[in-house]
Amino acid sequence: MKAPTRQGRALGFGLTRRQIIAGGASALALPHLARAATPKRVTFGLTPVFLDSDIRLLADLERYLSARIERPVSLVKRRTYQEITLMLLSGQLDAAWICGFPYIQYRDRLSLVAVPLYNGQPLYRSYLIVNTKVDAQSFSDLRGTVHAFSDPDSNSGFLVTRALLAGIGERPETYFKRSFFTYGHRNVIRAVAAALAEGGSVDGYVWEVVKTIEPRLTNRTRVIRRSEWLGFPPVACNAMARDKAVTRAIARALLDMPRDPLGRRILKTLHLDGFTPGEPALFDGIARLYASVRAQA
Amino acid sequence: MTAGPCLNPLHWPLHVKAPLLVAVLTVLASMIISEVALSRLAQNQKIQLERLAGAYLDGLSNAILPQLVRRDIWEAFDALDRANAHYEGLKARYTIVALADGSVLAASDPARFPVSTPVPATLVARLANGGMVIDEARARAWIRREITADDVPLGAIYAEIDLSEQIAERRSVLAMLVTVNSALTLLFAVVGYLVVRYMLRPVMVLGTHIEHIRGGTPEPIAAAEIARQGPEFAALFRRFNAMVAAIDERELLAQRLAEEEKIALLGKLASGMAHEVNNPLGGMMTTVDTLRKHGADPRVRRTSLDLLARGLAGIRNVVRAALVTYKGTADPSHLSRGDLDDLKFLVQHEIAHRHLRLDWRNGMPDTVAVDGTAMRQAALNLLLNACAASPEGGVVEVTARTAGGALLFSVTDRGPGLPPPVAALYRTRSSEDLPAPGTSGLGAWTAVRLVTGMGGRFEVETSPETGTRLTIVVQLATEDGLDAVA
Repeated sequence: MKAPTRQGRALGFGLTRRQIIAGGASALALPHLARAATPKRVTFGLTPVFLDSDIRLLADLERYLSARIERPVSLVKRRTYQEITLMLLSGQLDAAWICGFPYIQYRDRLSLVAVPLYNGQPLYRSYLIVNTKVDAQSFSDLRGTVHAFSDPDSNSGFLVTRALLAGIGERPETYFKRSFFTYGHRNVIRAVAAALAEGGSVDGYVWEVVKTIEPRLTNRTRVIRRSEWLGFPPVACNAMARDKAVTRAIARALLDMPRDPLGRRILKTLHLDGFTPGEPALFDGIARLYASVRAQA
Repeated sequence: MTAGPCLNPLHWPLHVKAPLLVAVLTVLASMIISEVALSRLAQNQKIQLERLAGAYLDGLSNAILPQLVRRDIWEAFDALDRANAHYEGLKARYTIVALADGSVLAASDPARFPVSTPVPATLVARLANGGMVIDEARARAWIRREITADDVPLGAIYAEIDLSEQIAERRSVLAMLVTVNSALTLLFAVVGYLVVRYMLRPVMVLGTHIEHIRGGTPEPIAAAEIARQGPEFAALFRRFNAMVAAIDERELLAQRLAEEEKIALLGKLASGMAHEVNNPLGGMMTTVDTLRKHGADPRVRRTSLDLLARGLAGIRNVVRAALVTYKGTADPSHLSRGDLDDLKFLVQHEIAHRHLRLDWRNGMPDTVAVDGTAMRQAALNLLLNACAASPEGGVVEVTARTAGGALLFSVTDRGPGLPPPVAALYRTRSSEDLPAPGTSGLGAWTAVRLVTGMGGRFEVETSPETGTRLTIVVQLATEDGLDAVA
């Protein structure tokens, strides 16, 4: 088996009609819940773009959002980007921290809520990393190696490298000896550090943060390529809910995070500076990468 | 070649043998117990390892099965990674998930077993015949589990297990067993030595007192010693003391009998001597009368005086022989040729009385280093017995000589031979073996007692046809021995 699992999804053909209908049906059920005596629970989706393994961070975020929105908030986690994107599109989530790639794929159906500020900018990069024992200096040295991707719907963990391959008329299954998805940026680092894969495509922000938290893991990897600056994975909502009070409350809570002690603690843990409203143009770079891959397809 | 007394365990003292035996038995017991315990431990460890390996493989198989179906490298690796962190009871050095075609899907150590490379042939060959192979020398075990779904082979899990902890545990148990057993063995050996020594102490006391009997000075065991013993040894000691009392009594009786024999002999000799003295006295009295009547005649006077001198010389010889025999000489550690010759005078009465002929051949040196007094008394007893046994007009032959460092004194008679009990008495080799007096002739018993007391022996030739020849053989003392006697 040479083709990466779920490669079809990675090419951005979007969700199937059946999935969207199913999601919509679920969304129709929500008004019924709103009639409950207690305020409607706010649902906030998280993808593995985020450092979702930190339980204390999740608890803090839930507590912060609940306090700021003055409604109970449930954080919703799924294994893949696709599941969260589907829930968001089908209205099961009020907002979700997704990747720039799904945002570009469903730009007409999604709306930006806020974009994190990393080193003062709403930007990040994709890294190509290799195991320190692998003697590779550039992307071209990775031909014929085993490669780890993060998620087929991840910009930094797949699209960037996929676009590089498209640029030279290659595909993962033709360029690499073998490639696979780990469904998490930290897992890409683990796979490369353990030499399960000789190289990997990873979110540069996650790699840098892991470097400060778990240097023993990143010390066994080496960055051989950094991509251009691209729009940081945003918090988005269903376009139809853009003007809802809850959406505005979520945006306000995120933007106000630097001014709140608990918010500052969350930002510190995330190694972020804050949030900005953001503009769709921020993700034009990702759009171009997507276009190049589609062109090849 | 046989082991010397010191090397041969049969000759070791009981107080050494018994504790040693306890120690050896303890060591043997401890070795057997250790062997059993270790073998049981090894068995348990193997069973435990098989169970753990089974549980490990069961858990892993369930986690790996979907990944094998999807050929999901990451999830397979993640499952292995998590399994190794969670199975603390089983230390897997590496685990490999292989596809049905024998290539590696994922391994816990991907650097060693890269993705899509074949599983090492040595590992596959090692597990060709079974699901588990143990190499104790290398403290390793290898396990394999085939994974199938609906009878379709999907792949296999291979793992190398580190057994160093189990081996270390076994070594630790062995070390503990050796330490404890060594300490117990030493303790048992010491306690055994002390207990057995304490238990054997009465035997040693008895042994010492028996040695005194061998030395001729029997001593009873002290009452305080008897009081310290348990009932068995106290009874034994009391029986021993009774035996010592009996020995003392027998010795006293023997001495008294010997004394009585001596007196009886003396009486017999005295009567003989009186006769020997009386014989010349008649002639001498007649000579004295002749002198009175014809003393003026020089020829008669000379003849009479010669007769008187000869008579007095005969009397003097008899008296001197009696004195030497019963009062002893100035040097009792030696026997002179003359001392032996004097015996002729003591038996001449018996000789004359029975019309015997005494064939006296004394070829011994002037003096020899033997107990003179004892030798003369023994020889006189033999002579008197020979005279008594000889028929009227018979011949009694006496020879004395030295040969091979020994004095040989023989008396031969033409009598009817010795009765068997008396012959057996003469053949007694040691004074300890001497039977109680009274069962045979007292003279013979006394002679045997004297000769064996000197360390000598009798050679006996006797038959009803030819008579009896008894030879006293006494080893001559060396100069050192003489000094000691002196």
